[in-house]
Amino acid sequence: MTASGTFGYGREFARLIDLNRLGGIVVKGISADPMEGNPPPRIYETEAGMLNAIGLQNVGAKKFLTEKLPFLRTLETRCVVNVFGYSTEDYVRCIEILNAGDGIDAYELNISCPNTRCGGMVYGNDPKLTEEVVRASKRAARFPLFVKLSPNVTDITELARVAEGSGADALSLVNTFVGMAVDIETRTPRLSNLTGGLSGPAIKPVALRMVYQVAQAVKIPVIGMGGIASAEDALEFLIAGAQAVQVGTANFYAPATAIDIVEGIRGFCRRKQIHLTDLIGSLKAAAGSAV
Amino acid sequence: MTKMQDEITPVVGNRSLTGGHYLLSLYSPRQARATRPGQFAMVRLPGRSDVLLRRPMSIYEVAQRSKHSKPEIIRLLYKIVGRGTRMMAELKPADRVGLIAPLGHGFFEEEYLARALEADEVLLVAGGIGIAALLMPARELAGRGIRATLFFGGRTKNDLAGLADFRRSIRTAVLSTEDGSRGHRGYVTEPLADYLHHHSKKRFLLMVCGPWPMLAASVALVQRYGHPCLVSMENRMGCGLGVCLGCSIRVDGTGHGAYERVCTEGPVFWAEKVAWNAEAPPKV
Repeated sequence: MTASGTFGYGREFARLIDLNRLGGIVVKGISADPMEGNPPPRIYETEAGMLNAIGLQNVGAKKFLTEKLPFLRTLETRCVVNVFGYSTEDYVRCIEILNAGDGIDAYELNISCPNTRCGGMVYGNDPKLTEEVVRASKRAARFPLFVKLSPNVTDITELARVAEGSGADALSLVNTFVGMAVDIETRTPRLSNLTGGLSGPAIKPVALRMVYQVAQAVKIPVIGMGGIASAEDALEFLIAGAQAVQVGTANFYAPATAIDIVEGIRGFCRRKQIHLTDLIGSLKAAAGSAV
Repeated sequence: MTKMQDEITPVVGNRSLTGGHYLLSLYSPRQARATRPGQFAMVRLPGRSDVLLRRPMSIYEVAQRSKHSKPEIIRLLYKIVGRGTRMMAELKPADRVGLIAPLGHGFFEEEYLARALEADEVLLVAGGIGIAALLMPARELAGRGIRATLFFGGRTKNDLAGLADFRRSIRTAVLSTEDGSRGHRGYVTEPLADYLHHHSKKRFLLMVCGPWPMLAASVALVQRYGHPCLVSMENRMGCGLGVCLGCSIRVDGTGHGAYERVCTEGPVFWAEKVAWNAEAPPKV
C-alpha cells in the first residue's frame, strides 16, 4: 500500500506507474470540512529523512467523494481513506459523509498527526480519548476501520491494545516522529510550524521495533510502515509481524517503490521457496541470546 | 505536465562555469522533446540515501546533438548551494541520473499566450540562478519574431552565468551587480524601474524568475504600471508531483483554495495571483 499523504489521491501518479499493481492506495487525510494547511516552509530534508508540517491540507470529505473517488473507483487497487478530525464528533461526521462513497474499502483513522494544534495526536496519546474516538468511529463506519497509531508515546502497545479493544479491525503504524531543525544563520526554525513529522529511512529501526512490539501485543492485523524503501525493508517488517506494509516518503523520490517491493518480495519468496504467510511474524531468536 | 516521464538518464556533460555554476547535460530524447519553456525537472542522484529527495531544477535548454536531429539533450544550469548540488557537481559523463520531467506549467500555457503576445515589448527579468528558467522563453519568443530585453542581476559578475547563451535571442541585456563588478551597481530592479519609467506609454509583458525578495520587488514595481507579469517561483519541493504539498505558496482569489502548489499549478503564475505579503517560502 502507499501511505497517506505521500500519494495524493492516486491520480497524480497514474502517468508514472501502473496503479493497478499496488495492493492499495491510502489517500491523503480527509476531514469533514476542507483544510488549508500550514504556511510555508512546510518541509525540510534531514539526514536520510525529511521533516514535514503540511497541516493536513485537504479538499474535505464531500469534495473527495465527488472529485477524487470516481477516479479511484476505476482502479482494481484497494482504496483506503485516511480520516481525521478535531473532535470525536468531527471524526464521526467525516465518516458519515464518506459512508456514501461506493468503492471505499476501508477507513484509516488518523489519531496520530503531529502537525495540527488540537488535531490527531492529542487523541493518539490518551488511552481514554483513543477509546472514545475509535468506538464512535467504528459504530459510524460502514467499512472496516484501521487505526493509525502515533509513535510519540511512552508505550505504544498500551494504545494498540486500547484501539483493538475499542473495535479497530487493524492497526497502522507508525506515523511520523515529532522533530525539528534550526537554521543557525537566522536562528529560526526550518519549519513555520516549529516542529514537524520526521519520516524516511532514518526512522526505520524505531518503527520496526514498534511494529514488532505491537504485533506481539494484539491479535488484529498490523500494517507496518516507517522508512520502507525496498523489498528488504518490507521483509523486515513482515518478519517482525506486520501483515502488510505501507510505503511513504519513498514515493516522493522513487514513485515505483511500492511496485518494486511487490516484485522484490515475490522474488525473495521464490528464491527461499517460502510462502509469504509463513514469513509473517517468523522472527527467530538471535543466535546466543534470549529474545 | 501530461507528458512527464520518470527516466534514468546518462550524463553527457557537466561543465563548470563561473562562480560555482555548472551546466549538466543529460541524454533524454523523450523528455527533451516534451519540454516547454518554463518547465522543470526533478533530479535524483541514485544510490544516495543521505540526500533523499529529488532536487527541482529549471530546464535551461533542450539541445540536439546534430544540426538536423530533434532535441535529445536536457541541460540544467545550477549553482552549488548545498549538499545536493555539491554532489551534482561531481557527476561525470556516463554517470546516471534519475530525471522526472518535464513538470509544471511553463510560460507559454494557453491561458498566458493571448495576453502575452499583445505586448509591445517583452522584458525578461532574472535574479541570479533564476536565469535558468528564462533561456527557453527567450528562444521561443525569438522564434516568433519577438526579441526580448533581458534584465539580469546578481551579487557579483560571477553570478551572471549563462549570459552568452542569450545573445542571439534577445534585443539587449541590462546587467546589474550588487558589488558593481559588472553593469549597474545595485539591484536588478533599479534599471528595470528606470526603463519602465522612461517607456511609460509602452505595453510590456514581463517574465520574471529569481529569489522571493527580488520577485516581490519586481512585481511591486510592475504593478504600479499595470503591466501583465508572469513569475516563475522557486520553492523547496518534496516530490514535484503534486502529492506532498510541501511547495505550496499562498495565493489570492479562489480556485484551489488559499494555497497552490509551485510544482503543479506553477511554477509559472500570473504575478497578481501570488499573495506577496504572505509568508515567504524558504530560501532555496
